[in-house]
Amino acid sequence: MRHFIKTTIVGLVLLAATASPAAAEVYLHGFLQGLWGGRLDQDNPTATEQTASESRMQLRLEHFGDAAEVFGRLDFTWDGADTATYEWELREGYLKFRLGSNIDVKAGRQILTWGTGDLIFINDVFAKDYRSFLVGRDDQYLKAPQNAIRVEYYNPLGALSVVWTPRFEPNRLPFGSRLSYYNPFEDAIVGTGISPAYYFDPPSPEAKFENSEIATRFQRQVGPFAAALYFYKGFYKNPLGAEMMMVDSATYVPMPVYPKLNLWGASLRGATLGGILWLEGGYYDSRQDPDGDDPFMPNSSIVGLAGYERQVATNLTINAQWQIDYMLDYDKFLDNYHDPGSGEVTMWVRDETRHLLTTRIRKLLKSELLKLEAFLFYSPTDEDAYLRLLTEYKYTDEVTLAIGANLFDGNHISTDYGQFQYNDNLYAKVTYGF
Amino acid sequence: MKGMMKLLVLALIGLSMLAATTNAQMSAEEIMKKSHMAYYYAGDDGVAEVKMTLVGKSGKEREREFTMLRLDNEDGGNQMYYTYFKKPSDVARTSFMVHKSSEGNDKRWIYVPAIDLVRPISADDKSSSFVGSDFSYEDVSGRHWTNDTHTQTGESELDGKKVWVIESVPKQEDSFAKKVSYIDQASFLPLTEEYFDKKGEMIRRFTAVEIKDVDGFTTMTTRKMENLEKGSHTIVAFSSIDYNVGLEEDLFTERYLKNPPRKYIQ
Repeated sequence: MRHFIKTTIVGLVLLAATASPAAAEVYLHGFLQGLWGGRLDQDNPTATEQTASESRMQLRLEHFGDAAEVFGRLDFTWDGADTATYEWELREGYLKFRLGSNIDVKAGRQILTWGTGDLIFINDVFAKDYRSFLVGRDDQYLKAPQNAIRVEYYNPLGALSVVWTPRFEPNRLPFGSRLSYYNPFEDAIVGTGISPAYYFDPPSPEAKFENSEIATRFQRQVGPFAAALYFYKGFYKNPLGAEMMMVDSATYVPMPVYPKLNLWGASLRGATLGGILWLEGGYYDSRQDPDGDDPFMPNSSIVGLAGYERQVATNLTINAQWQIDYMLDYDKFLDNYHDPGSGEVTMWVRDETRHLLTTRIRKLLKSELLKLEAFLFYSPTDEDAYLRLLTEYKYTDEVTLAIGANLFDGNHISTDYGQFQYNDNLYAKVTYGF
Repeated sequence: MKGMMKLLVLALIGLSMLAATTNAQMSAEEIMKKSHMAYYYAGDDGVAEVKMTLVGKSGKEREREFTMLRLDNEDGGNQMYYTYFKKPSDVARTSFMVHKSSEGNDKRWIYVPAIDLVRPISADDKSSSFVGSDFSYEDVSGRHWTNDTHTQTGESELDGKKVWVIESVPKQEDSFAKKVSYIDQASFLPLTEEYFDKKGEMIRRFTAVEIKDVDGFTTMTTRKMENLEKGSHTIVAFSSIDYNVGLEEDLFTERYLKNPPRKYIQ
């Protein structure tokens, strides 16, 4: 019934859009896409062997006049990878207009991006969708939409952007149905193949004004570089904390929560040394654990990133990034892991400074119709890696064929990529654009 | 009085000789400079709808449609370009900006609307293809005439038009070894350009397909580039061309990259 109502609403909106007198000025584009993926590991604790099995239709509706612009992006999917579902999502639905000559406003459901990293995010704390990212959906699906108002004020000094997200929007993370993941409460890689009980859905912060997210950026050009300062007040986008919650009158269990976060940062990016250079840093202030002594809350940290990209030959572009993540009050963090008997830390724990190296290699062939791409994440300190491979061929202007793979490796089950070590997958994708 | 007459005659002879020099013996470098100005710097700015047809060896066609805005910061010097893509579907709504520098490297940015991403692109290789076509970035925004040594090898006639034949050799090693241009003596537009490799084989050929008068500017409205090595060619047709519309520098910034200037986009 719910689907029926949803579908009816969408149908009516489309009908209204095409039937209105302004029909000539409404642009309709989109694509149809089939995506099929299978996992390569036999010992994955998930119920399904398919990492993707979906048919998708995306519609983009656009209308603009002199004063304002309206844009809508709707996705309809039939997803049969585990329990077959038919879903639709409004990925974007916003109104964009100008106030005076210096202020641009974008209000509604929107995708937001800033910062300098390539698939690494420090000051970009807008919602991400790793469920899509890890199974071969298009890159655009890494960014999850959020309901927000963005105001940008331009003056000769620079551009000030303020994004207010009234209701907290978390990252979309694997939860065990088709991708297994590390569950700290079980200290194991879990999936629904073992027990559906491993699935958890952390409660979002209450819908209160004080729980809304504010993200700001001030950017200006400094020589060849775009220099930016950032500030964010909200929550960690991953459920990195835990709180004891009452199940019944006598029982308390730890439940994952999104800890409060303040984030201060800066970045620099521009053309220099024959390529593009970027630098970014951020101070993650974990507001619920200022001294780093709460074992259920993440410690504050300082994160830095340096990257460089260059076209090394015709149609061959290579980049490299180095990220360091330094945990504050590491001693207190370690205290949580001391064995009460020996006083030693017996299990594996992360280093005080975590290093992450990445590289992207992109080669275009056949008049840019064929793209070969590899992206590698490798952490020498976490001892894990994630390799993304993609071959894409534009058969015609409308039809694109792609095959790709997501490969994970790790020596420890609790690291960012090590936790996905049973999720290696191979996928094929066909897209028809219109 | 007699002396006066003599002087006048002498002056007239001198003047006519001078005029003859400018017309018939304009240096090859001057011709190429004038050609560059006529081709890439018409008016102070320009707006056009562009349709590119890419034809592969097998005859398969692909199309690109975009709006292009151009502003000259100085005649023959720096320029700014803004491109808003409409077709094909997978790149529709993408905008692209170039700050072309007559000295150093150009700066390029792209805006990917699906993820609200503004990104600078490394612009090291000017000879790389523009959106997969047979035109390079340099073909689109112009190769500065001072990058080559030019020699006039003769005059000829092409489609009933008198042309200069100019040979240009890159001063530094480049994607071609020699270029032979046929420059229209009336409009200074290149009617044909032939690119040769080191072995003397023709690798690319440019042809002016249609030339029209637009607002008093002789404008090449359709052009063609053939890649003889690949067996492909690209045809570019300009329409709705407007010159001197009053574009401002402000338009070629990140703000407008994210918010395309709709009044110039059809």
